[in-house]
Amino acid sequence: MRAEGTVDDAGILDLQALTKHFGGVVAVNQCSFRVPRNIIAGLIGPNGSGKTTLFNLLTGILPADGGDYFYKGEPMLGLRPHEICRRGISRTFQIIRVFREMTALENLVAVSRDRNIADVRRRALELLDFVTLLPLKDEYAGNLSYGQQKLLEFARALMSAPDVLLLDEPAAGVNRTLLTTLLDRMHELRAQGKTIVIVEHDMQVVMNHCEKIFVLDHGELIAEGVPGEIQGNARVIEAYFGR
Amino acid sequence: MSNRTLQDSVRPAALPLGGKLPARQRTLQLAAMGGALLLLLLWPAMTNIYRISFVFFLLQYVVLASSWNIISGFTGYVSFGHVAFFGIGSYTTAILVAKHGWPWYLTLPLAGLLPVAWAAFIGYPCLRLKGPYFAISMMGLNEALRVVALVWESLTGGGFGITMPNVENSLETYYAGLAVAALTVAMCYAIAHSRFGLRLAAIREDETAAEAMGINTTAHKMYAFMLSAFWPGVIGGIVAYKLLYIEPDSTFFIIITVNMITMAMLGGKGTVLGPVIGTAILYTAQELVWWHLPWLHLIAYGAFIILIVLFMPRGIMGFLIDRGWVAKGVIQ
Repeated sequence: MRAEGTVDDAGILDLQALTKHFGGVVAVNQCSFRVPRNIIAGLIGPNGSGKTTLFNLLTGILPADGGDYFYKGEPMLGLRPHEICRRGISRTFQIIRVFREMTALENLVAVSRDRNIADVRRRALELLDFVTLLPLKDEYAGNLSYGQQKLLEFARALMSAPDVLLLDEPAAGVNRTLLTTLLDRMHELRAQGKTIVIVEHDMQVVMNHCEKIFVLDHGELIAEGVPGEIQGNARVIEAYFGR
Repeated sequence: MSNRTLQDSVRPAALPLGGKLPARQRTLQLAAMGGALLLLLLWPAMTNIYRISFVFFLLQYVVLASSWNIISGFTGYVSFGHVAFFGIGSYTTAILVAKHGWPWYLTLPLAGLLPVAWAAFIGYPCLRLKGPYFAISMMGLNEALRVVALVWESLTGGGFGITMPNVENSLETYYAGLAVAALTVAMCYAIAHSRFGLRLAAIREDETAAEAMGINTTAHKMYAFMLSAFWPGVIGGIVAYKLLYIEPDSTFFIIITVNMITMAMLGGKGTVLGPVIGTAILYTAQELVWWHLPWLHLIAYGAFIILIVLFMPRGIMGFLIDRGWVAKGVIQ
């Protein structure tokens, strides 16, 4: 299932000693790694290991307490979330955050910056079709099923035509049919040159679809590598199952 | 995505934003609005001074409820101090007319712009607050303005207020109020049917997600707040001139804010027609109850609000939308 192609080692995201505290709790601790361009990467770790916090730092939703990170070589720390999105990093959320009282189509149209409304509408309809939600375009987002809302959020994240897509637990609570759709679309996007980073607990999804995996534990990066390396890594096994 | 030739499977996006209601519904809406406007234009010729004044004050609340709806209904920042903008506009007109001899109509642009400036000044810190904190901060700032108007006697006349030269002004203020109400509703319609309006709705639904999706939420909230301040200032100026006397307690009166909130919520906040319908019903009901049951009118008013919250929590427009009698969504 893994996408074909050579992993480009010129990192599109470069994290350098990124750190975040919540009071006395160190949620992300001196985290440094580089995400290569044009791959599907996985970010895994036990509950509370700092994965979602790291996404929140990368998208500017939380301010970092230390370190820095670069996107295409440009420093990003200190930018506001909308500025980061406009530069090319978009995301979905662990807990779905669609605009519930707006229709599926409005969810997408609202976030576009394109001035030509006809183009915006066309692009939104294309993306709804891309995630198989076109027949539901006029339905309130809040009326969609959980899996459909995940797909809608995925489509909405694509409206800004990002180069990097951060997906927070895309498989959680999604039935197999919708999950297959989601994974197929991820691979199509990867084939178009996008970089996708997923936080995921479903190890089948991670091992079968990610080309590179980063493992966090207690906010620290404890391992990185291709799936085969991660599966046999003693520190990763310890983090998940204990000594 | 590229190999699926998606353009083939979707109908072309020919329609711009706005004007996308089903044709029959759009015709009905336009006919109803045109009929109402015609009736309001002819109203002074059909009735007496009391009824002209009644409709004038109803129009005042159309302006206030619709303006409140921009920041609180469309954007989700519930303001409990919106009467401050009305008060600034009132004092602007009263001071310029009574102390500087300006013609009242020339004061109105300033009566609108000064509240906008005030909104710009307080908006940046206040709009960082959310929910009850924003509501309370707005209420506190309104109270601060009331106190300033009370103690700054050289400018505002303090507790004695400001009296303007006595003139008969029913007709001119009526038509000015009608024009301002029509412009306010037109502005709300334009906002609701624009992507700016959609983005405000996105902020209302989930500000964090809206920001993460590329919407500059601070700028959008500021614009919405400033727009919501303009027409209350203008109508404040007109009301001041109609009454020919203002003083702090009745001008920065918190009940005016409570009324505009109640009216917008009754009609359906976050919709264009909701505040208009809510105002028409509630203001008329208030007047009738006060007229017929003066000792009971506050109890009846309270009971009415409770019934609405219980049975139509999303207001009249929400009730109609939920039953499919009014089209949902802006874009179809």
